[in-house]
Amino acid sequence: MAGMSAANAAPITATDSLSQALKANIIPNQEYLLQGSVLDSAVEVLLHRLRGLCDNVDAGPETFDDQEVCFSLRDPNQQAAPLMLRVRKALDYRDMPFQLRYIGQPDLGDKNRPTVVRSSLDIACSGMLIDFLNELGCRIEFEYSVKGYMFRKGRMKITVAKVFKISQGSMPPEPISQSYLVELSVLAPQGQDAIAEDMRAFADQLRPLVQLDKIDYKRLGHMGVT
Amino acid sequence: MKKLQQYPVPENKTGTYVIELLTKRILALGASAQGQFLVDCESYLSHPQMGTTKTVHIFHNSEQPASVFSILDTGSKNIHVIADGLFDLLMMKLSQHYTSKKQTKIESKGPRFELGDFCVKLGSVTMNQSFKGILVEVEYRPCVTPNAVWGLLREFLQGFLGPSVMVQAPQHLVSRMNEIYTPIDTIYQYLEHFSAYRKITGMRTA
Repeated sequence: MAGMSAANAAPITATDSLSQALKANIIPNQEYLLQGSVLDSAVEVLLHRLRGLCDNVDAGPETFDDQEVCFSLRDPNQQAAPLMLRVRKALDYRDMPFQLRYIGQPDLGDKNRPTVVRSSLDIACSGMLIDFLNELGCRIEFEYSVKGYMFRKGRMKITVAKVFKISQGSMPPEPISQSYLVELSVLAPQGQDAIAEDMRAFADQLRPLVQLDKIDYKRLGHMGVT
Repeated sequence: MKKLQQYPVPENKTGTYVIELLTKRILALGASAQGQFLVDCESYLSHPQMGTTKTVHIFHNSEQPASVFSILDTGSKNIHVIADGLFDLLMMKLSQHYTSKKQTKIESKGPRFELGDFCVKLGSVTMNQSFKGILVEVEYRPCVTPNAVWGLLREFLQGFLGPSVMVQAPQHLVSRMNEIYTPIDTIYQYLEHFSAYRKITGMRTA
């Protein structure tokens, strides 16, 4: 009978279920992140090590080939920094939905904090997302494609991938460097800082093949200028 | 395919009266009550500094509880995106750019019935807690090509609602009668009707 009455109760509104989820803190809206890179010549050794350490070893590492477009949306009051939105599309699985991502300002904390933490919303989307964002008022900042391997270790995600310029016409895509970008990340609800310690421990196991660190983009920007 | 139909509330009668009347009718046809449904819509207007006013309509439908339907009205065309539930959180992040017109938040909710291959929903439309009218949604579930099923659906609606109700093909579908019907097509029908309700103060009768 309990089941019957539940079926006849008015459905809970989406707004209510969202605020319940927010209150219960079950929405994975924080990204813990470490980054590093390896030279092309050294990538095989790293992949071999990851195959030994990670969960999905039987089936081999998962490959991916994505195109990412980065949009910005200016603050109409010109007071805050522009909002950044990223759209990813799988080039190897064309019928998969888009992935729309909001990424907030990275918080590096002091040197005792093991990883970068930034707020993040990962949203699966279908439909005319690129047109939608353009008409919404967003401007394309840059785009690139990224191709590589994805490993898993518990809740951690490890990607080893190469970044390419978007190819014009029939030319093969041109890599932007002679190295692979290595990222170790976890998406989790707010306050689960213990995971950051696990990530640091895992990153230590990958030394000295790759050094995963908290990367400060602002500092990188200054290095580029000088 | 689904058809959404406005049902006029007779003079001096209430929405509750009409829902009860239609409930009796559909039960007499042999339908069984299958819970409740809810479709809601909140609209967001772009900041004046951003140029031409654009509107983002955010819809939820209890039939697709894991999805958020979003239609951007640019003034000259509609562009839609179907996303998972976190899209609502993104709209909060966009609050500097797009602000909700809270007083036009509108919803249709009520009982749903199943009758063989048909699914019938009797919705009371309320905006800002005030009753606006009745929307009847009828779905013929085995067929997803509007052209192949429209005749049958119209006949069912005409028989169920009576000759006083004009049943016409949904405006949104007229140019797409041979395409596959998907949940966003239902949302476009709700947008059409909700927009009509918003333009009218008081109850919508025709």
